[in-house]
Amino acid sequence: MSLGILSLIVAALAAAGFFLGRRFALAKVAGDARRLHSLPGYYGQTVFLFTAVPAFLVLGLWLLIQPIVIENRVAGTIAPADIPEGSSVGLVMSDVRRIADGIERVVSEGRMTEPELAAHDDIRGELASAGVALGNDVRPSVVEAARNYRDLSPASSLAMSGLVLALALAGMAFALRRISPDFRARNVSETFVRYLLIAASTVAILTTVGIVLSLVFETVHFFRLYSADKFFFNTVWNPQFRGGSDLGIWPLLWGTMYVSLIALLVSVPVGIFAAIYLAEYASKRVRAVAKPMIEILAGIPTIVYGLFALITVGPMLRDFFAQPMGIGSSSSSVMTAGLVMGIMLIPFVSSLSDDIINAVPQSLRDGSYGLGATQSETVKQVILPAALPGIVGAILLAASRAIGETMIVVLGAGAAAKMSLNPFDAMTTVTVKIVSQLTGDTEFASPETLVAFALGLTLFVFTLGLNVLALYIVRKYREQYE
Amino acid sequence: MTAESTNSGTSLYKTDARTKRRNASEARFRIYGMAAVGFGVLALIVLLTSVLGTGLGAFRQTFLTMPVALDAATLDKKGNRDPAEMAKVTTIGYQKILEKALIAELTEQKLIPEGMSAKDVGGLISKEAPAQLRNKVLANPELVGQTITFRALANGRIDGYFKGRVTMESAALDSNVSPAQLELADKMRAANLLGLSFNWGFIFDPDASELRPEAAGLGVAILGSLYMMIIVLVLSLPLGVAASIYLEEFAPTNRWTDLIEVNIANLAAVPSIVFGILGLAVFINFANMPQSSPLVGGLVLTLMTLPTIIIATRAALKAVPPSIKDAALGVGASKTQTVFHHVLPLAMPGILTGTIIGLAQALGETAPLLLIGMVAFVRDYPGAPPEGFLDPASALPVQVYNFTQRADPAFIERASGAIIVLLVFLLTMNILAIILRRRFERRW
Amino acid sequence: MNDMTLTERALEATEIKFAARDVQVYYGTSHAIKDVNIDILDKTVTAFIGPSGCGKSTFLRCLNRMNDTIDVCRVEGDILLDGEDIYDKKVDPVQLRAKVGMVFQKPNPFPKSIYDNVAYGPKIHGLTRNKAELDEVVESSLRKAALWNEVKDRLDSPGTGLSGGQQQRLCIARAVATSPEVLLMDEPCSALDPIATAQVEELIDELRGNFSVVIVTHSMQQAARVSQRTAFFHLGNLVELGDTTQIFTNPKDPRTESYITGRIG
Repeated sequence: MSLGILSLIVAALAAAGFFLGRRFALAKVAGDARRLHSLPGYYGQTVFLFTAVPAFLVLGLWLLIQPIVIENRVAGTIAPADIPEGSSVGLVMSDVRRIADGIERVVSEGRMTEPELAAHDDIRGELASAGVALGNDVRPSVVEAARNYRDLSPASSLAMSGLVLALALAGMAFALRRISPDFRARNVSETFVRYLLIAASTVAILTTVGIVLSLVFETVHFFRLYSADKFFFNTVWNPQFRGGSDLGIWPLLWGTMYVSLIALLVSVPVGIFAAIYLAEYASKRVRAVAKPMIEILAGIPTIVYGLFALITVGPMLRDFFAQPMGIGSSSSSVMTAGLVMGIMLIPFVSSLSDDIINAVPQSLRDGSYGLGATQSETVKQVILPAALPGIVGAILLAASRAIGETMIVVLGAGAAAKMSLNPFDAMTTVTVKIVSQLTGDTEFASPETLVAFALGLTLFVFTLGLNVLALYIVRKYREQYE
Repeated sequence: MTAESTNSGTSLYKTDARTKRRNASEARFRIYGMAAVGFGVLALIVLLTSVLGTGLGAFRQTFLTMPVALDAATLDKKGNRDPAEMAKVTTIGYQKILEKALIAELTEQKLIPEGMSAKDVGGLISKEAPAQLRNKVLANPELVGQTITFRALANGRIDGYFKGRVTMESAALDSNVSPAQLELADKMRAANLLGLSFNWGFIFDPDASELRPEAAGLGVAILGSLYMMIIVLVLSLPLGVAASIYLEEFAPTNRWTDLIEVNIANLAAVPSIVFGILGLAVFINFANMPQSSPLVGGLVLTLMTLPTIIIATRAALKAVPPSIKDAALGVGASKTQTVFHHVLPLAMPGILTGTIIGLAQALGETAPLLLIGMVAFVRDYPGAPPEGFLDPASALPVQVYNFTQRADPAFIERASGAIIVLLVFLLTMNILAIILRRRFERRW
Repeated sequence: MNDMTLTERALEATEIKFAARDVQVYYGTSHAIKDVNIDILDKTVTAFIGPSGCGKSTFLRCLNRMNDTIDVCRVEGDILLDGEDIYDKKVDPVQLRAKVGMVFQKPNPFPKSIYDNVAYGPKIHGLTRNKAELDEVVESSLRKAALWNEVKDRLDSPGTGLSGGQQQRLCIARAVATSPEVLLMDEPCSALDPIATAQVEELIDELRGNFSVVIVTHSMQQAARVSQRTAFFHLGNLVELGDTTQIFTNPKDPRTESYITGRIG
């Protein structure tokens, strides 16, 4: 039974449960709703909730767990002797999945039945003709495992459908049986709803836990294959797919910091001055036009900035600055990425600063003007010092954005991991390497792939630190004027 | 006191030197501010013109229009018009037919230059055109034996020539196109055999291989993005609203609530690529969901969008004045009834606005999708939902990235064109959000 | 209203500091101040009284052009300071405000140290040549504001950490530090408790020796206590101006009488 139909049936059952529950409740009091504890709709609602929620919960869980269970059971049937030298269960399992997929195609094209194919001499050739290429010859036990895998999936789906439907019906029966005029249906369904709300609010926590666990787990895995010392203290980044890679984080950190620094050098002065101008000087009309225009910059996806760096800014910097000055010939460079990222960050700095400058009480401005200060003196000596903590918070948030930004550096900074001072050199960053190590068909258990998780963890820790600090500073600042 | 003497007794009508200096510094400061605003606005304008300038070309494409005789002897040997049988004729067969048709047409118009080989003449046609003709014939076998007017895609270099990307000089150095072919193309254009027209294929067709930029379209990417947006909307709106209602209306002030709040604030600022790593590790490696599928993409984007929606929803709930809650509680409504009957409907415009803005953010997100395999080259449209959510698909921003990774400069035009499509979607969503806000905004 | 020149002659001080002639103030389309003519004397405390919204604060803010910072505000007529029109094109409001200081309703110390708060004015106007002179100005200003003894040991601590009354005296010290000729005070005691109010009132009386002081107040008792001359505003009009004792004991205009006896307000 397909997932869609199953969900529809459960939904239909729940809807039917609602009307049944309502009618049941009314029938118990011979149609006189006043004798019920709650409004009739609430009786329906309890039936609805008890029918739908457990069933869908189990459905979701099953879908999540089913592949893992099947995987384990099939992996258990592969004898250790069938795992080739230098390979692993994981690799054999990926063969198993591909063979199962191939069998499915051959069978569905109607060329052979499954037992015929299993008995065939040249399974590999047969599967290749169906578009599934296998690296080495197929051992019988692996084919057996693949057939097993294929059999288990529908069996499991059937079991799932049965269980889900049974649960839905059981929930409905349970809820219907509880209905009586004294049943506190409203309280029950409200409590139920409240638990649902609580569950929804824990998603945020689960996400964080998921991020931390997946990063830490794979990073530990990585450090088992590659020493942490070398990762943190080696200054060479040179992954080799035949092993013996140098995976030092320093060149990547250097590139990240250099690009972020340039981005901040662009965005902080421009952002703060723009915020000051819009908050203190601009006429209403200028503000009404310029403020949204600058804020549009924040709504443009980063891939657009990436393309802008690639096709416009990079070549322009190369042709007008780097080449005439003889200091670089690459259109991707730290400067390109930093400049474009700086443009992207202008609105982050300016709109946060704008809010913060506007939060400085008017009485302070009056005090300063009353003493005969000019507007710029007031801004520089009264407003900025008063708003400073908030602006520092805004800058920290912008820095965290810069460090975690991916698409602009992927398209604008280059891929060469080196530590150079020349801003017109192509360099690379932590995020670029996460992308390049995790895209493409690489072996998942190799240090070259797993290093991406260690890089991700480093990135996460850095940005988390900056964010917490920034939020703390901004919060403290807000309290000051509340 | 010295200070006293400096100040009193001077005329107000005379501006002293120090005030002049101060006023000059005031003017400078003001100019810095104006320059900063100007820089921001200028950056936006340059960005948009650069993208529009390079991208608009993708919406117009060079086509050859000519009569094509669909020879029954080659296309349907058995003559029974059975599509399964006819499928045995590969695109090479159709290519020959197209080539023949073009040469016939050119000979009739006396346009073929001296000494140009049939292969070179055929080179004007895109490698994708035979496949399109084949699909057309297989979809309607009755066409076989007739002569139809077929609009064939021109080769990418010929297209580039009319868009200024390819010149006679560059063609001389290019192994894929010769100046003679370009001259022929010029003549054909004069004879109305060839011309630029609006390119629906760019919006609806799937991606094409590295060598056929002229055929690359966004169909699969748009559909993939649409699927992901459906998933994000269906999951993040109820989850986000439920979480916000709990936090805003029911949650007691304790450590746990505090923890959730701090978490949400931090999640909003976690780099998007980290969400990609989460998706790869949890959804693909742990839960074995299919790579490149809109389901995984949608789940990752949902987790990213949730904080945005929660923050917007809480602001909207907070904006509902307590007097309304008091009134409902005062007539004996339960807390839950108050929230669902009164607070939530009043907060709905704000919630929807926040949701649309969150969706717009998710639509433009690229980095996490790269990690969950959406960079894969996908030519087949995903199936209908819900099963189609598990089929491999692409996404608009990822398609842009894919285009930029290819060697042929024609793909730069495609990438910018894809960005225009993306920006049009984003603009529509934002305008929708603004209209919603304008229409339903209430001042209490 | 011609009789006000008579009362002036009765006063001991002779010099006219501010002279306002036919002043009109508009906020957008609303006419906030109508036909105000007033002379403000040197080394005298002048109190502006009147019900809320009568325009007394608005008029006060015209005297050092603080209204310039509000876009929709427009001032007509002449306001002369020592015979010079302060709304003349040649006048820089920055220079004007150095001569005409202002203290606001709510204490508004800058988020800086006590020292820097007081030194702010002298610094921006360049009134001192070196640190020693600046120290001297700060000390004398704080002494004039009767705050020196309370803060001399903690000049580096933030001004926002002082109590409300201390903050307001700090703001007065800050205004005094630029050695203005006129000190405008916009309900300076409205945010203070009675003890702090008494301190500030005492201070105002001492300041009279050096400056012309104009104070807007809601409290008639305060006007009676600190001022020598009182002006009564009502609905944007200057109703009556005169010797404080005369205004409170023998008002000429029935509206003034109603106000001070509590019938309008």
